[in-house]
Amino acid sequence: MTTTVAPPGTASTTPARAPRRARRWGDHLFVLPAVLFVAATVLYPLVFNVDLSFRDVGVAQIVNGGGEWVGWENYADQLGRDEFWHALAISLLYTGLAVAVAFALGMALAVYFNQRFPGRNLMRSLLLLAWILPTVVSANVWRWMLDGSYGLINTLLESVGLIDGDLFWLARPVPALFAVVFATAWSFTPFIMILLLAGLQGIPDTLYEAAKIDGAGAWRRFTSVTMPLLKPVNLTALLLCFISTFKTFDTVFLMTRGGPGEATMILPIYAYNEAFEYFRFDTGAVATTLMLVVPLGLSVFYFRSLRREELS
Amino acid sequence: MGRTGGRSAAWTARAVGVLAAAALLTACGGGSDDETSGDGGSTTLSLWHYYGTPDTPTGAAFENLVDRYEEEHEGVTIEVRHIPFGDFTRTLLQSAAGGDLPDIALINGFTTQALADAGVIQDLSDRVEEWGEADRYFETGWETTQADGATYAIPHVADAYAVYYNETMLAEAGLQPPTTWAQMQEYATQLSDGERYGLAFSGIEGDEGATALVIRLLAAGGDPADVDTEAGATALGQFTDMIAGGAVSSGVLTWNEEDVKNQFANGQAAMMINSATYLSILAEENPELQWNVALLPSDVQAATFLSQENLAISTTTENADAAWDVIAWMQQPDVLAEYLPERNKLAARDDVDTGDDPVRAIFAEQLQQAWAPEGDLAAASSEVLTRIQGALQAAAGGGTSVPDALAEAQGQIDEALANVE
Repeated sequence: MTTTVAPPGTASTTPARAPRRARRWGDHLFVLPAVLFVAATVLYPLVFNVDLSFRDVGVAQIVNGGGEWVGWENYADQLGRDEFWHALAISLLYTGLAVAVAFALGMALAVYFNQRFPGRNLMRSLLLLAWILPTVVSANVWRWMLDGSYGLINTLLESVGLIDGDLFWLARPVPALFAVVFATAWSFTPFIMILLLAGLQGIPDTLYEAAKIDGAGAWRRFTSVTMPLLKPVNLTALLLCFISTFKTFDTVFLMTRGGPGEATMILPIYAYNEAFEYFRFDTGAVATTLMLVVPLGLSVFYFRSLRREELS
Repeated sequence: MGRTGGRSAAWTARAVGVLAAAALLTACGGGSDDETSGDGGSTTLSLWHYYGTPDTPTGAAFENLVDRYEEEHEGVTIEVRHIPFGDFTRTLLQSAAGGDLPDIALINGFTTQALADAGVIQDLSDRVEEWGEADRYFETGWETTQADGATYAIPHVADAYAVYYNETMLAEAGLQPPTTWAQMQEYATQLSDGERYGLAFSGIEGDEGATALVIRLLAAGGDPADVDTEAGATALGQFTDMIAGGAVSSGVLTWNEEDVKNQFANGQAAMMINSATYLSILAEENPELQWNVALLPSDVQAATFLSQENLAISTTTENADAAWDVIAWMQQPDVLAEYLPERNKLAARDDVDTGDDPVRAIFAEQLQQAWAPEGDLAAASSEVLTRIQGALQAAAGGGTSVPDALAEAQGQIDEALANVE
């Protein structure tokens, strides 16, 4: 029983401080706008989507409402489709590669910018441009640069004799996958760099000096001092980057629309096609619901490890 | 517990305040702003289309048409909204679900049936019968307005694909436009020299990129619902050969129709398969380019791909009579005669005189051989066409053999057709 309404006539005896429980209720009321906001923008669509995934919903049902409850039928349909598993595999491959490239580049840049040299801050801010540039701009610029007939990258490679003739990067399965991986990694690199740089700056110089005195070289200092001390930051950077890359839609959609063929058909595009190209809203909902599982699992893992860090 | 009255009153007040604010927000969100009103002779109609913003040539032509209607009909205001093609059907469906449809929608011919089945657009059969002009329309195009034996739209404009060719390049090589697909391959190979290619067409990811292969398939006597056939193998085999042999750039797999036009305009391609949409744009942007248009090559049969827009009235409109008046007016032969050349489109009916321009005449002749999906294939056309493009991609760009690519596409097409309710 947590009611807070007091009988009338007792107000005059209100003490200076309200009882603990009642006060907490009042505090909770302040959260109400946030709760309403989250409920309306996150919870409702989520529940709606999950509900949709258990119904038979085509164009007619989305317009007129209704849609018969079909239980797990849509899930069985999707899990039995090669295309779904293909999209999941491509998603994991794309995310894994992009995170690996972004992390390697981000780490290299962070170590570099952790040193003191003139113009460091300016360079750092310039690098952030890749992160703040709207994807619709960066993805289209990548698409143009990678074009076979007028693309900059082709011209460069041709001028140094690496390739001969037109190479249409986005028209061939493997080059297209690498292209979207690199474009994604390029935009995530500054984000990782900033996170790692913050971590690096938290490592006391004295540790490096001590290692130096013990005769450790630059590489040894990196592997034995930097990496172990950066572990929590690394974990954060990797997980956040993995989660946001896994749900990336715009970069790949703008560059290849999931093509050529299905070479870059990541789950978000697969789900988009199901719902908005083929108007199978039910199986599209299944795909997006299942798509949640990977980031959700990682988020749980992330918060668990955060708590463990805090406890230790 | 009995001593918290003052605070509790304050909390209640706060809670009520917050709830009221929330209620207000919901009220704002849920209330539909009624775009149509009919007070004493003045009517406002809403119309959605995907032809482009008013500053584009295609969008401007359509806005001019609407302006002309408004000038001739005092008291009628048409609020035009442009939605990009890629978002159009989705936006229409979402608006239908939200109960906020426009009065009139200019829709893709191939989506008419799906929108009718979804209850987004209304049955116009009675009005069309009273109108009495249905038999003026070309059969294939009229067929796209039908769903379950009723008429749900009337055609707006039609278009067809033909071959644009660079006169200078063909003359230098001593060639006439090809009349068979064997000639097409031979000439395209002859016309390409490493710098430029013989033929260009759009083969981009998605249904848009299926057009050329469907045209080739139809010419071989094939059926887009049945691609794993001899005709399918002929069509896909030839396209794959042309791309592998350098007669066609492998860039076609990334080009949309606009890109193809640019390739042709820049002299990067000696021939292109494209619609009449680019007639005046080519002439205006590249006045020095010498080009002409020829009928598509044919083999077993002569066929092209229909491109058509239809005008439909939403199920929720309160101004159906006024909306019908607009769409029927837009189909008057004298109105079309002025509008179509400006819009670079063809009449969907046979009684419009748009002058004696020889290039338009070729397109008009090509239109007589237009193919459009019907029945189940129409309902699943977007997916089926996407699968056909997928076969082209797999064989020409992904290294899959022609039989394997066709077999895989066939499996996906069968599944798509089976999904049609």
